[in-house]
Amino acid sequence: MLRYLALRLARAAFTIVLVVTFAFVVLRLSGDPALIIMSPEAPEEAIQAFRHAWGLDQPIWIQYLDYFGAIAQGNLGVSFRDGRPALQLVAERIPATLLLTIPALMLKICVGIPAGIHAALHRNSLTDRLVMAAAVAGFTVPSFVLGLLLVLLFAVQLGWLPSGGQESWRSMILPVITLGFGGAGVLARFTRSAMLEVLGQPYIRTALAKGVPWQRVVRGHALPNAAIPTVTIIGFMVGSLIAGAVVVESVFSWPGVGRLLVVSVSNRDLAVVQCILLLVASTMVISNLIVDLLYGVLDPRLRAGASGGH
Amino acid sequence: MKLTRRTLLATTLLPRVAIAQADQRPSVTVAVQKIANTGVLEPLREQSSNVSERWVASILETPIARNQQGKLERVPGIASAWRRISPTTVELSLRPDVRFHNGDVLTAEDVAFSYGAHMFAANLPADIPQIAKRHFPALERVEIVDARTVRIVNKTPDLTLEGRLSAGGREIVSQRSWMERGDWAANAKSPCGTGPYRLNRFKPDSELVLDSHDMYWGGRPKLKSVRFVEVPEVASRIAGLRAGEFDFACDIPPDQIGEIERVPGLKVQGGLVTNHRIVVFDKNHPVLANPKIRLAMAHAVDCQAIVDSLWAGRARVPAGLQFDFYGDMLVKGWTVPAYDPALARALLREANYQGGEIIYRARNNYYTAETATAQILVEFWRAVGLNIRLEVKENWPQVLDKAGPRGVRDWSNSAVFDDPVSSLVNQHGPNGAQQTNGEWSNAEMNTLSVELESGTDPARRQEVFARMLQICEREDPAYIVLHQNAVFTGHKASLPWTQPPSFFMDFHGAWGA
Repeated sequence: MLRYLALRLARAAFTIVLVVTFAFVVLRLSGDPALIIMSPEAPEEAIQAFRHAWGLDQPIWIQYLDYFGAIAQGNLGVSFRDGRPALQLVAERIPATLLLTIPALMLKICVGIPAGIHAALHRNSLTDRLVMAAAVAGFTVPSFVLGLLLVLLFAVQLGWLPSGGQESWRSMILPVITLGFGGAGVLARFTRSAMLEVLGQPYIRTALAKGVPWQRVVRGHALPNAAIPTVTIIGFMVGSLIAGAVVVESVFSWPGVGRLLVVSVSNRDLAVVQCILLLVASTMVISNLIVDLLYGVLDPRLRAGASGGH
Repeated sequence: MKLTRRTLLATTLLPRVAIAQADQRPSVTVAVQKIANTGVLEPLREQSSNVSERWVASILETPIARNQQGKLERVPGIASAWRRISPTTVELSLRPDVRFHNGDVLTAEDVAFSYGAHMFAANLPADIPQIAKRHFPALERVEIVDARTVRIVNKTPDLTLEGRLSAGGREIVSQRSWMERGDWAANAKSPCGTGPYRLNRFKPDSELVLDSHDMYWGGRPKLKSVRFVEVPEVASRIAGLRAGEFDFACDIPPDQIGEIERVPGLKVQGGLVTNHRIVVFDKNHPVLANPKIRLAMAHAVDCQAIVDSLWAGRARVPAGLQFDFYGDMLVKGWTVPAYDPALARALLREANYQGGEIIYRARNNYYTAETATAQILVEFWRAVGLNIRLEVKENWPQVLDKAGPRGVRDWSNSAVFDDPVSSLVNQHGPNGAQQTNGEWSNAEMNTLSVELESGTDPARRQEVFARMLQICEREDPAYIVLHQNAVFTGHKASLPWTQPPSFFMDFHGAWGA
């Protein structure tokens, strides 16, 4: 088990380094931050001075080594635009994003999983069709379109809720629904298929033949076995808690990490983008690591496989 | 003085209660696409005309103002008068009643500081003095005559000094406040000026709240506060306006004007601003080295069709790279090259054009209707036989990238003060971006640029400017002027506000009774 964990941790660290390296190279090759921040009208001397002040006139490999050297000392760099440490800027925005993404995750789980189970248990019924139609709509309608439709209905036509901003708890409702609706659809689809697959397994028929009550079969045999794909999806959703609301934050003018990421990418505020990507990659990797460990809890066969058993 | 309960009430509590009860002034919320490009409230770093110009003059003021309710002509500002002492020197007489937001009275010391250490000190970010140098390319010193009189002395003759003193980037800051805050970074987020509104709070990329500066020299502001909120999506800005959450929604594209005006209680104002949409040439491109091909490209474009189709006729085709507010410097009778496809084809034949490919780099709607404009231009050029390839780029460095062939690219030019130096020389002269980017150069144009900047004979300057237009728009085309830009703002029809002919959202002079 320890070897398994160590291997997973090493892969996780390698993934994070790869993500950060990729972002480092791509951001530098796709636009000079000095020209982006200062505009093409700026005097050449000002642009050169800016580059020199931020070390952008150094060869890229020296910048890369400096960057990783600084990370090793806990320094994630300073924002070109703001002048403050990138980590501080990002940390200021995380609570706002979590205010949307955590309730949205709860919504996805609380609506998507029961809906998927219900649809599977009532396969081919009217409810099944309705749930699946809603689920397909959920993950096919882009969040940009859904957000604007909700704004038009609840803010413009009915006047019940604010169209954006972060004024009060009421401002959270539309973005949370927008984020949650698509995710709930995805979870409902995956839960339904996993349940249907499990319900067709011989051990379910055996349990029923032995006279185990249907509800106990579902709770004790079907649900735990169907949980693995659902947990995998939830793992991805947890991993995207920090920067999973980029579009929704733009539509609803929500001052979170997603907005900061968009602004920082378009301004090539390198330290901030890299800091966000580092956090997102770390969250995603940790979340997947936890999911991997949960597999072992949910299915003892995977535990045995990991320790070399057959 | 003997302190009694009565005097205490009379001098402290009662006036406050009275002010609170009397302050029935409205507050407004303005939805903008972007509050500040660089994340700070500092005009030198910010530089941008269409983003920061909206609010800068509400907080910080230049010595000489511009008439936002007229034609942007120069009018007294915190300097009640100015006079020419010599071709190199302008004397400013400061108003006696101007107070900064911290309560201090404006003095000549503040002006000297603003045009001295505030712009050129060694401990500033490296780019700031360089940008300041472009604003004052030949500033020699600021002389304090007395507490309310100050002289701006140039090294070389410069008839544009008054214009420069009315342009963005030349705002006056409080010396005491600046020194107390300690460094550039702190001041860049918390400017202390003399404008009608003072900073309440600023959250970069989110909101900017300004409160009334009740001691404003121009009279008590008519609004209690102004809140700018950043709403990047135009659909969201319009939805917020329709829902009544915003009083103003800025950056409305022309094709959305009708939709807003159909809603009872809303209206759209807008008009021309001192900014031209242009495309510029890289004459190092093997095909574009021949000026006849560049001129053919100019004659191939029906600019009026672009104005009519994409701007609903609300923009206009100007008289070349010049603006009405140039006054006597305006070259009357000058026009952009006429739409004449036959002439364009003839010029291509004369140039022996063999169908070589020309790259056209544009950005994805950085400018209003930019992508649609680019597609129309490509079709106009193809219609006369030119081989054009459109490349849409993400940012300016990609547009200007010297790797790969550069041919034509999108751009816009603003005139920040009322003289051709502010546009033609600043953008296309020897130190202008087109030349420093290595796209275009012309020896005669460069000589004339210097003469236009330092010339003191108005008649000769007008002659020089006319010749420069001839070079840049006919003989050795540097650019094609497509149209003068316009901006549109949706707002509640009940609000007594008039949009100035600029990007500035004037909530003092432009707010009615």
